[in-house]
Amino acid sequence: MRRIGIWIAVGGLLLATAACGGGDSGGSASGTPKAQSLAVGFVAEPANLDFTSTEGAAIPQALLVNVYEGLVKLDQAGEIVPLLAEKWEVSDDRKTYTFKLRENVKFSSGAPFTADDVVFSLDRVKSDWKLKIKSQLDVVDKVEKKDDSTAVITLKQPSNGFLYSMATRLGAMFSRTGVSDLANKPVGTGPYVLGSWRRGDSIQLDANPSYWGTKPPLSSITLKYFKDATAMNNALLTGGIDVISSVQAPESLQQFADPNRFEVIEGTTNGEVVLSMNNGRPPFNDKKARQAVRHAIDHKALLDTAWAGRGGLIGSMVPPTDPWYEDRTGDYPYDPAKAKQLLGGKTYNVKMRIPNLPYAVASAQVVKSQLAQVGITAEIEPLEFPARWLDQVFTKGDYDLSIINHVEPRDMGIFADKSYYFGYDNPEFGKLLASADQGTEQEQTDDLKQAAKLLSDDAAADWLFLFPNLIVAKKGVTGLPENAISESFDFTALAKQ
Amino acid sequence: MRGRTNAGLVAGGALVGLVVLTAVASFFWTPHDPTLVDAAQKLREPGGGYPLGADKFGRDTFSQLMVGARTTLYVGVVAVGIAAVLGVPLGMIAGMTPRGWLSELIMRVNDLVFAFPALLLAVMFGAVYGAGTLTAMIAIGVATVPAFARVARAATLQVMVTDYVLAARAAGRRRPAIAVRHVLPNIGSMLIVQASVSFAIAILAEAALSFLGFGTRPPTPSWGRMLQESQELLFSTPRLALWPGLAIALAVLGFNLLGDGLRDYLDPKLRRIR
Repeated sequence: MRRIGIWIAVGGLLLATAACGGGDSGGSASGTPKAQSLAVGFVAEPANLDFTSTEGAAIPQALLVNVYEGLVKLDQAGEIVPLLAEKWEVSDDRKTYTFKLRENVKFSSGAPFTADDVVFSLDRVKSDWKLKIKSQLDVVDKVEKKDDSTAVITLKQPSNGFLYSMATRLGAMFSRTGVSDLANKPVGTGPYVLGSWRRGDSIQLDANPSYWGTKPPLSSITLKYFKDATAMNNALLTGGIDVISSVQAPESLQQFADPNRFEVIEGTTNGEVVLSMNNGRPPFNDKKARQAVRHAIDHKALLDTAWAGRGGLIGSMVPPTDPWYEDRTGDYPYDPAKAKQLLGGKTYNVKMRIPNLPYAVASAQVVKSQLAQVGITAEIEPLEFPARWLDQVFTKGDYDLSIINHVEPRDMGIFADKSYYFGYDNPEFGKLLASADQGTEQEQTDDLKQAAKLLSDDAAADWLFLFPNLIVAKKGVTGLPENAISESFDFTALAKQ
Repeated sequence: MRGRTNAGLVAGGALVGLVVLTAVASFFWTPHDPTLVDAAQKLREPGGGYPLGADKFGRDTFSQLMVGARTTLYVGVVAVGIAAVLGVPLGMIAGMTPRGWLSELIMRVNDLVFAFPALLLAVMFGAVYGAGTLTAMIAIGVATVPAFARVARAATLQVMVTDYVLAARAAGRRRPAIAVRHVLPNIGSMLIVQASVSFAIAILAEAALSFLGFGTRPPTPSWGRMLQESQELLFSTPRLALWPGLAIALAVLGFNLLGDGLRDYLDPKLRRIR
């Protein structure tokens, strides 16, 4: 009993010290850099730190822009802005890009960043990367060094997607001497460096003292990983973390309603929550059946009930932050009578095999209830995500309906691949995408608008809603990226008042 | 002694009766379709045709509870059924051949299964064969087999040394006949008690599995899943967690009380006192 008492006393002492420490750093004299840190809660921990060979959104989310930098990056409005390149020029035939690199940039290992590293990094995509998306850079013909601070990239044909790909992880710049242990020791030019990694718990990023740009306001950031949304909510309520990067249970936001303690930020994402229909087998190989489904679903009611009304409604595979967005929500208004008419009085039994993720399970119950009104009986089967869902639905295509959030940016092209799990096959769509990538910017926009309309008209799938980016932060935390439209969670401007 | 025994039995019987009655009634009538999503009724307060209010999908909580009782009983009956059908014969064989290798084999395999947590087994079944009510029931049932086998064996050992069994054996009755005529009727009371207790455990297991997403598939109402869906609203609308939680607690209490009461009631020694 006495021993317990002692431990409680020690614990109390530690807490008191911690509190004092916090107070000290907060009140330190101006002029000296404040030793401040923040903890941010995330849902999925990276399997390792190598995004060149391991799939998964968690790795670039933590490292891109923060630890690794590319020549260009995406800003919060979705524009491509300079990063390691000061500026770039595009030749008249739109096949040659000349990047003028920033000088005095150093990797965290101390090695200087030069055009040789650009050549090395981009050649490495072809030779060493193991991800499917590396095909996006197949359009690159050759990468050359003109002088130490000038790199020239020549394309096989004009491509509108090239520069955008350069803003993703594909364009991350690696040091020629820093790729020996990518899974554990990332070496980049970014404002933060890897501090420590406690597997299963957290990753700490420390400020890079030799950063070339504006020094980050924080001395360190801890990325804490939670498997459970409620546990993450409680961590913020009790002060274990300062920010929830992505709220997984929107109804729980009421806990954070007090504006004196918390700030709720709602931004947008690239995540289209798609009700996928198997175009490759009955009944949804019939366009009319697919159109019936689109008419049968009251999207507004679905969003209000399944996701607390947070997020937006979309009618095709384009989020509003893309330049070729058009409002397509009016294409298939909620009309159960029309849906029944399209089905021609027939009734169907279908398998709705969904990942066991909160948004999918919630949406599926609404979809089932609404489809039942028009004579489609859907049996919901939640599959363990990612392993079983990827195997059964994504790889084998054994499903009629499914629900998944397609988070990749500018991913309309997945519908052009008829072996993709949608089984959508319309050559016209593929032609539009190809001509969009090679045409001028205006042609690209026009073609992609047409492609999005074609998808919607064909009812290749149904788009339930656009996933919101819901961030909750303690009051006083500033510089949070409101929109999650790139692959990274940009910590560059994150600060605490 | 007598009064206490009856009180437990009566209270347990009443609670179990209530659950059974609710489940039966749900086949004929519920206030609303329990799976109908109605955005207009989202998080509706209790009252006006919605006696316990509605959840975030606008589904009537009371109707869901009623149909959830059905799921609960269904799981209990099938899981306990599997356990009894497999466990009782195994236990009786082990009890009637106490020194044979077969008895040894049965009881050691029993120990093996007994050491395996029922929930873990169910999660494994769910991962391999797909989550669903049936897989959950089979897993819970298999995990409960050892409990029945042990009770059946212990009771059989007692019965085997009674005078009437010795007489039957002396008269040349074959073992299967003895098992059916003499052993089974005399260990029945203990098995009923075990069934009642296992029923309570099965209800809890199903609720836990549904809470974890390995049990009853949505949108079929289940008390465990109702609890899980109310989790994110725990701070703003606690009643959504209260009702299914209360239902689970009362049903489990009911079956436990019934089991206890039956044991006292059916025990010949205690009966003599009365």
